[in-house]
Formats: sequence, structure tokens, C-alpha cells
Amino acid sequence: MEFGTIEREVRINASPATVFEVITSPEHLKEWWPDEAVLEPTPGAKGELVFGDRSSGNAHVPKLTVVDAVPSRLFSFRWTHPEDEEAREGNSLLVTFELSASDGGTLLRMTESGFREMGWEVAVLEEQYQDHVDGWSHFLPRLVDYAATVEVAS
Amino acid sequence: MTSDVDEELWSAVGDPIRRRMLDLLLVDGQGTATSLSEQLPVTRQAVAKHLAVLDRVGLVHGAASGREHRYWVDDAQLARAAEQLASVGSNWDGRLRRIARIAERIERQKQTPKQRTPKQ
Repeated sequence: MEFGTIEREVRINASPATVFEVITSPEHLKEWWPDEAVLEPTPGAKGELVFGDRSSGNAHVPKLTVVDAVPSRLFSFRWTHPEDEEAREGNSLLVTFELSASDGGTLLRMTESGFREMGWEVAVLEEQYQDHVDGWSHFLPRLVDYAATVEVAS
Repeated sequence: MTSDVDEELWSAVGDPIRRRMLDLLLVDGQGTATSLSEQLPVTRQAVAKHLAVLDRVGLVHGAASGREHRYWVDDAQLARAAEQLASVGSNWDGRLRRIARIAERIERQKQTPKQRTPKQ
């Protein structure tokens, strides 16, 4: 794996249309990621993720910009750029979801890249990155197990 | 407010020149605007401004040394910044697991809308 990119692949027993809906609609987004999401799956659209309680004043609210959105096929966005800057290569992380029909279900391929550009050359940060990679290797087998159970159950 | 500090910390490390300055300070242990500008493609004045930004969020500390200020990296604050970077890049496995669960639940509901409806 190229340093600076996180890549994952997951098979889901649901149609690409359903998976696209789950990864792009604010209603579903908050079930799997932030506490609240403001987002429209349109290229160029700007949205935000809300972590924590907004009214408390302690919420973390990173901005995101939709790069590409093709129903049932593709969804990508940039995030973590400074609030006063436009999202671009070098100041943000690029998350891409690619969907393809597979055996009556969906193969979901996720990548998150831009760590190197965002300054992971600082030695300390590289260490942190290595921790993530170790984390992925720990979690992936569990994911595969989980997917298998779901398949048997349905 | 905590969130403001975090945003500032985030944008402080968001600049490539400032990150290189942190690199140099980490390697050398300490440095001045002059010593840093000699190793970077920017002027001493620009370096001084960047140092002020890093100082404001606590990533570096400075002390007067002769005619110049000498700066060094605050390890604890740098670890905190690193932690923030780490938290945004991590946890995709958990997220993907939840995406799969939600999508599969929706699909099942679509396929069997009501239990009393016999399967075709």
C-alpha cells in the first residue's frame, strides 16, 4: 500500500443504489459517522459534519466539499481543510467511495488520501499514521467475519 | 473555548512552511527566525510571522536570546496536534461496518415490506 493512502474494500448485501443513499444522505450519515451532517450529494456542494453537541459550543464542525457524485457509482469529497480556505489538494483529505454491483450486492471501495500532502512528513505524525495501518489490519478480519454472518443470515 | 483553540491548532499545522519549521526545530532542538529562514525558501520576516502563529497555539515557545528570540517545540502540544490529525484519518473500519449494517437493513425492509405479505 502506498504510504499516505488508506484503502478498504467491503462487500455489502444491498444494492448500489441503497449503499449510495446510506453514504450520501445526512439522515443516514449521522447513523454511521457524525452526530449531525449537512450535505448535498452534488459536485461542488459545501457541507459540514458536526461532532458533539452544537449548542454546547464544544462541537467539532469540519467542513467538507463534494468533489464528485454519481448515483449508485461514485461519491467523493474533501474535508479537514482550514475553514477560511477552499478545499484543494494539499490542504485536505480526499475520501472516495466507489460502488460496483457484485453478486446481487455491492462492492464498496473506500480510499482516504492526502495525508502526505497534509504534512505527515513530521516524524511524529508518521508514527501516528503507522498506528492507523496497524489498526486496519486488526479490524479487517473482523469485518470479513461480520460480512459472512450477515450473508448467512439473509 | 476549546473548539476555537482546536481550529487554530489545526490551521497552524495546516501550512506546509510551518510544518517544515516544526521539522527543523525538532531536528535541531531549537532555532531562531534567522536560522530557520536560512534553511527555508522564505524571508526572515515571513518566518517570524509563522513563528508567532505557532507560538499563539502553543506549538512552540520562545525566549529572548541576545538580539533574537530562540524557539523550541512544545512536545505535548505537538502530540495533541498529531492526535487530532490521527483522529480524522482513523476509524474507517467502524464506519464501513456501520454503512454495511444500515444498507443491509434497508434492503431487507425493501424486500419484505410487511410480514403478512406472502413472499412471491
